[in-house]
Amino acid sequence: MKRNRGMIVLFLAPAVFMFTVIFLYPIVRTIMMSFFKIDGITDPLAKWQFTGLDNFFKLANTSLFRISMWNLFRIWLVGGIIVMSLALLFAVIITSGIRFKSFFRAVIYLPNIVSAVALATMWLQYVYSPKFGLLKTVFSQLGFTSLAKIQWLDNDHKFAALLLAYCFGMVGYHMLIFASGIERISSDYFEAATLDGANKIDQFRYITLPLLKGVFKTNITMWSVTSVGFFVWSQLFSTVTADTQTITPMVYMYMQIFGAGNSVTERNSGLGAAIGVMLSICVVAIFWVCNHLLKDDDLEF
Amino acid sequence: MRKRMMALVLASAMAVSLTACGGGQTTGTTAAQEAATAAPAADNSQGGAAEQAGDGSGLVYWSMWEATEPQGQAIQAAVDQFTADTGISVDLQFKGRTGIREGLQPALDAGTNIDLFDEDIDRVNTTWGQYLMDLEDLAKAVDYEATANAGLMAACREVGGGTLKSIPYQPNVFAFFYNQAIFDEVGITKAPATWAELDDACAKIKEAGYTPITCDDAYIVCMFGYHMSRLVGEPKTEEIVKGGLWDDPSVTATAEAYADFADKGYFSETIASNVWPAGQNQELALGTAAMYLNGSWLPNEVKDMAGDDFVWGCFSYPEVEGGTDGTDAANYGAQVLAINKDSQNAENAFKLICYITQGEFDKMLSDLSVGIPADSNNSEWPELIACVKPVMESMNTRYPWAAGGEANADMTPIIKENFLKLCGGTIDAQGFVDALKKAGN
Repeated sequence: MKRNRGMIVLFLAPAVFMFTVIFLYPIVRTIMMSFFKIDGITDPLAKWQFTGLDNFFKLANTSLFRISMWNLFRIWLVGGIIVMSLALLFAVIITSGIRFKSFFRAVIYLPNIVSAVALATMWLQYVYSPKFGLLKTVFSQLGFTSLAKIQWLDNDHKFAALLLAYCFGMVGYHMLIFASGIERISSDYFEAATLDGANKIDQFRYITLPLLKGVFKTNITMWSVTSVGFFVWSQLFSTVTADTQTITPMVYMYMQIFGAGNSVTERNSGLGAAIGVMLSICVVAIFWVCNHLLKDDDLEF
Repeated sequence: MRKRMMALVLASAMAVSLTACGGGQTTGTTAAQEAATAAPAADNSQGGAAEQAGDGSGLVYWSMWEATEPQGQAIQAAVDQFTADTGISVDLQFKGRTGIREGLQPALDAGTNIDLFDEDIDRVNTTWGQYLMDLEDLAKAVDYEATANAGLMAACREVGGGTLKSIPYQPNVFAFFYNQAIFDEVGITKAPATWAELDDACAKIKEAGYTPITCDDAYIVCMFGYHMSRLVGEPKTEEIVKGGLWDDPSVTATAEAYADFADKGYFSETIASNVWPAGQNQELALGTAAMYLNGSWLPNEVKDMAGDDFVWGCFSYPEVEGGTDGTDAANYGAQVLAINKDSQNAENAFKLICYITQGEFDKMLSDLSVGIPADSNNSEWPELIACVKPVMESMNTRYPWAAGGEANADMTPIIKENFLKLCGGTIDAQGFVDALKKAGN
């Protein structure tokens, strides 16, 4: 077929233009900003003060930022293991031919359609309440007095409390992705394996898991991107002022760009941009590692 | 390989675009708030205010409130009356707290036509100081100060660099609020004015079976800041907090004072795990705790839980032995209205400010929000906060928020964590100081 260069350019131009304006320009500007000290996020270039790599060094030397990175790592790793395990388990159960499949799927997905503000209020003011909370009541009735006395929102337990509440809402979303991946696998494989005498666990180990590699990659990437953007739950678990157990780099970035709490504090959008650059490097690194560890190019089904 | 490179580029584009906006997830909230407030703004545009606003004849007003809040309702009523009386249309946009905090400066930088806006006194004058018009002449022309609160006008000039760049409304003061019924029951006839008197009062309250003091995580650093400022003054407190001078004896003295109260069991058993508003709602308002250090907005916030029979008391943070500051110092201030220096409608904008901050609508705002009136002619304060009047009138020195305790954003969460532990009794005074020193900055 004869190629018409004019047509190619014409059809590609809008997409390239949009990509440049919406993606490329913010990326380039953010990277540039990370090398400057900038008070207001929309300050003109003339007001930017070049500081080289100072923003990155300052972040590395700030204990609160290091704490926020540690929290993010814990959310990503511990939360990731919990959410992926439960999501996969539920996806396998849902797709195993149980009755009321749609009902269970809807119930597990339900927290995703409830506002995070409402969910967090329920967890904070009801489930974890040391006075009349759900956990306190349940543990008291079961006779576990030491567990009933735990103050779930004090500094020692706040991170676990936050993580539990967050994971509760995230399982359904990743379960749906896993379930759609499992449903894509032809039932012929399972029938053949059953005829050959493989039990359900073997089928899961040798058929489902290998054929879900691509879906794992998708889920891990999606989880990493949402973890990096962890903000709302952190804000809800520590209103007004940030908290060492719930602060994430995104919250730290917000403090640097728009000021912290009710106080008028020093702002530096350049520092915020540097955080953005660091986080995106993290996501790219995770994506790269995933691509190398979970190769699914060799399988076709 | 090329495919992989493309995938990498796209992944990084996705990540950067997600992080580049800063608080990306709040955008949704802001957009929702804007959508929610757009309707009432349009409803009240009266004859196409939005069209007229940009052409120089109407006004554009960005407010920090939500349309559904009492403050928003009073402002809306003032704007409606202003338009009815003068024929000047007003495009009133309720942006909400995060909306104005995140959006005002970019909008002004982009040249958006905004004639006036409101927010907290410190943020308007400090963060947005470069966008403000000098209001001295406009105020003089209508003799505005004849009925204004002199202390607050002075505060506005102080933060405005010596000149008047904002007009206060909805004043507030930060002090100890208490349950008068508990004080009466245990026989405390005079509100504590010194730390020793507070100690005595707490002992009596504790003996009667109540929790003397409660607090929430959101306000706990204020206790630290106030005690420090009573000891060494606010500027020195700010110097210590910003400079990380944790070896200063005042830090240890503050920690020891609170460790002593914790040892005596004066704080709520759940103080270390109270996430706002658990302490103010479930303890103070429900009558199990007696005192809470908070702003004069507190009675309004908890009025539905506290009930009609709850009688409030208020006293300024007590003096401490050997300290520099007395009870006449506190964080008092207001929300303020300011005019964009590029506004073509400054006179009309100031006229609208007078509508909101004086007379009928100042009274309405005070009544609806159970707040302090800004107009000195509105001498009758809402009954719930009548106790605040003598405290407000006794003020001479103004602290910024948290009396300087939150001046260093990198340290606030660390002070908060360890002060909660100190009040909860899980660390001692030395442990508190050591934790701050370890954090460094």
